[in-house]
Order: sequence, then C-alpha cells, then structure tokens
Amino acid sequence: MNDLAIRLSGVTKRYTIHHDKPTLVEKLINGKNEAFYALKDITLEIKKGERVGIIGPNGSGKTTILKLIAGITAPTSGKVKTYGRVVSLIDLEAGFHPEFTGEQNVFLNGMLLGMRKDEISKKLRRIIKFSGVGKFIDAPMFTYSEGMKLRLGFSVVAHTNPDIILLDENMAVGDQDFRQKSFAKIREFFESGKTVVMVSHYMELIQRICKTVYWLEKGKIKDFGNARQVVSRYKKSFKV
Amino acid sequence: MTEKELKARYKNTLFGFLWIVVNPILQMVVIGFIFRLFIKEPIPNYYLYLLVGLLVWNFFNLSLTKATPSIVNERGLIKKAKFPRAVIPLSIIFSNLINTLLGFGIILVPLLIFKTISFVSLPGLILGLVLLIVFTVGVSLLTSALNVRFRDIYFFVQAALILWFYATPIVYSIGVVPRQLIWFWRLNPLTSVVQLFQNALVSAPPPGLAMLMVNTFTICLVAICGVIIFSIESKNFDDWI
Repeated sequence: MNDLAIRLSGVTKRYTIHHDKPTLVEKLINGKNEAFYALKDITLEIKKGERVGIIGPNGSGKTTILKLIAGITAPTSGKVKTYGRVVSLIDLEAGFHPEFTGEQNVFLNGMLLGMRKDEISKKLRRIIKFSGVGKFIDAPMFTYSEGMKLRLGFSVVAHTNPDIILLDENMAVGDQDFRQKSFAKIREFFESGKTVVMVSHYMELIQRICKTVYWLEKGKIKDFGNARQVVSRYKKSFKV
Repeated sequence: MTEKELKARYKNTLFGFLWIVVNPILQMVVIGFIFRLFIKEPIPNYYLYLLVGLLVWNFFNLSLTKATPSIVNERGLIKKAKFPRAVIPLSIIFSNLINTLLGFGIILVPLLIFKTISFVSLPGLILGLVLLIVFTVGVSLLTSALNVRFRDIYFFVQAALILWFYATPIVYSIGVVPRQLIWFWRLNPLTSVVQLFQNALVSAPPPGLAMLMVNTFTICLVAICGVIIFSIESKNFDDWI
C-alpha cells in the first residue's frame, strides 16, 4: 500500500521578518511581528522512485519545501510526512567542525545524517577515496581548501545510502574531475530507483532528469504535471 | 549514537579536566583569604567548605555559559540535518558533569584526611546531585532555546550568574543571612543543592526542610518549563539562525 515517499498536506510556512538581530528587550517594547508566507497551503504527494523537479522564480518557496522535507524546519501548519532516509544536498559544508580532522568530521557528519558508527567505519575507506582528500584526512578541517571541504561533504552524503535525495541548485562541486565523479554518482542514484526531489534553474537538466515538475510561485503551486509541458509553459511566462 | 560523537567532540574542546580542579582551588585560595577577614562567625573547615561549594557552582556556571549560546554557535549542524536538537546543550552538560565528578574524586582525598565527610548523609548528597543536574538541564534548555530567538538572553545569563554566585551560600553560610531575608534564599533553588553537598562533604548544617521543599518544587517547575519550551522552539530553530 505504501508506495509513497513524501506527502505534504496543507503545508503552510510562515517566517517572521526580522530586520536586525532579535533581542528580547526589543520584543517586549514593540511586540509586532511582520509575517511572510514562504509557502501557502501546499499539498503534494511524491511516490517512491519518482523524480520530481521544482521550478519557480527566486523567493517562490523552493528551498523552503526542501527544508521542510528534510525535517530541518517544521511547518507552521499542515503535515509533512516522509518514508525512508532523507538526505539533502542543501548545504554540504555545514556541520563540519574546523578543529576536527577530516576523519572525525566524516564520523560526526555521517552520524548527523543518520548513519550508524559501524556503517561509517565500513564505508570510511570509500568515502575518503571518493573525496580525493587523500593524506589530508588526518589534518584538522581548518587547513582544508573550500573545494576539499565541499568534496568531503558530498562524499559523505553520497555514501549514506538514502531513500530520498534532495538536491538544491548549484551542486556543481569541485574541479572538472570531481564534478564528473559526482554527476556519475548522482546518476547512479537516479538509476537505482531512488526518490529524487530537485530544485534548479537549469531547465534542460530538470527536463532530462525529472518526470514530474511542480511550478511554484509566491508560495503556491501554480502548475504541475509532465516535465516537458510545465517547463515550456514556465518558459513562455517570461516571454510576455 | 549522535550523542556519543557530540560528547566526544566537546570533551576535546575542554582544556582537560585538570582545570576543573585547579580553577576552584585558585578561587578558593583567593576568596578564602579575603573573606576570612570579613566574616564574623568562622565556618569550620572554611577552605574545604569553599571548595565544595565552588565545584558545585562551577558546574552550574560553566554549563550555563556554554550551553546558552550553543544552539546559535552550532547553526551549521542545525541547518544541515534533522536530529534531536537537545543533543547540543545536553552534550555540553554531560561532558561538564564528567569533569566535575572527576574533580570531586580528587578532592575526596583531603576530605578523607580531614574526616569531614559524613557517610550518613550520602543519600542527601545523591539527592543534591540529582537536583543539581535536573536544574542545570532545565535552565540550560530554557536559555539555549530562548537565545535563538532573543540573542540578548546570553548577556542576561552572564550578568545573572555573577549576582547568582553571591546569592548562593558558597562563600558564606546561610546562618549569616538575616531572618527577614531568608525568603529570598528560598527562591534560589541552588541554596539547598549547595547545602546538601556541604552537609555531606564538610559536615555543614543541612538545609531546612521548608527550604528543601520549596527549592525542589522550583527546580521541577523550571525543568518542566525548560523541556516544554525547548521542544516547542526547537522545531523552528532553523528559521532564526
């Protein structure tokens, strides 16, 4: 019965706009809050193995949807339900501790992403090899270059064996060589029947990878369905 | 599992548990020297009395100052993945607790030499420890959760801790407090916690029953508030950091 991977029912996400660093004193003095709705009453279902694209202009709530699915933030109202291990490629570098060595960070990160310790130990070799960090793995993280951090971050995520993968835009990671490796890995995910939700501005990429596309605008679903049709309607809307 | 790793992580960032003992000893020497000039009624074993109080206080003080900004400091982790957010402040308190217990292990030596320790009041000591942990966890959850929304909570905590130190019978005994003002110490849950430790370890008088009841009630209340507020606020940490 359960062939669903993700279900969002009536999801609304309200953010409070803060103009400066919030303080309690200020709040007590002027209690007013400016609200901003990133998502309004979104309902959608994604089946297992489906590859879904989310498109829309900036500020339409695309990343918010990914965050909600990843469980990083909770909806203001409505329900988000996911089945299986969700892994997001939203912020690869986040969660690394600069004082720790690469290896310790792999463990820390892997555990945060829901892997067991022995699972990480088993995969450690492959993770390090894939990242191409090499002998720097024993060096503290603050000595790493940006590219190395990204590569290690991606490598950990890629080895978590997720059921649902969330891809944000700009996931082109590292140099030419590593980019090819990472795209190969992502393609591997696609082919092994994982559920994929991706956000991108590259319409060709979306069309090539996804079957279904949701078009968001101002926090609402404006259109959804067959990738090709939705993308062409989306493109047309700009030509007016 | 996540917790284990995070605990290890914070253990590494501490300077090593030696400081947990060296620090209060230094404080003890300075405060002990100065306060003896002012205090009218001498407290028996004043230096040991101080040391016990300071160890208890330092646990509370250090936990709170490190846990309060912890959620904001770990925004990288919060933004990365879904995991029980309470792990962050709790791991700080936990590693702190281990250090403190090691500290108590070390001062056991002088306590045994001077034979101030009374094994009859061991249940009191355990009660004191439980109350201390519950209270520290409760307050830390409360302040760390609120600090995400209101960044001035941290400054408030820092200021409050300085006053709180003198509002707790660490450098003096509750006996010197004027009778009309005793209600103020009843409001401070740490009063009987510290007294329970002092009673068991340096044979100071135990807390009065009324004091103990009121303090225990306050501690439970604070802890419940902390857990509830943390669990409500933790859902939306990502929105605020």
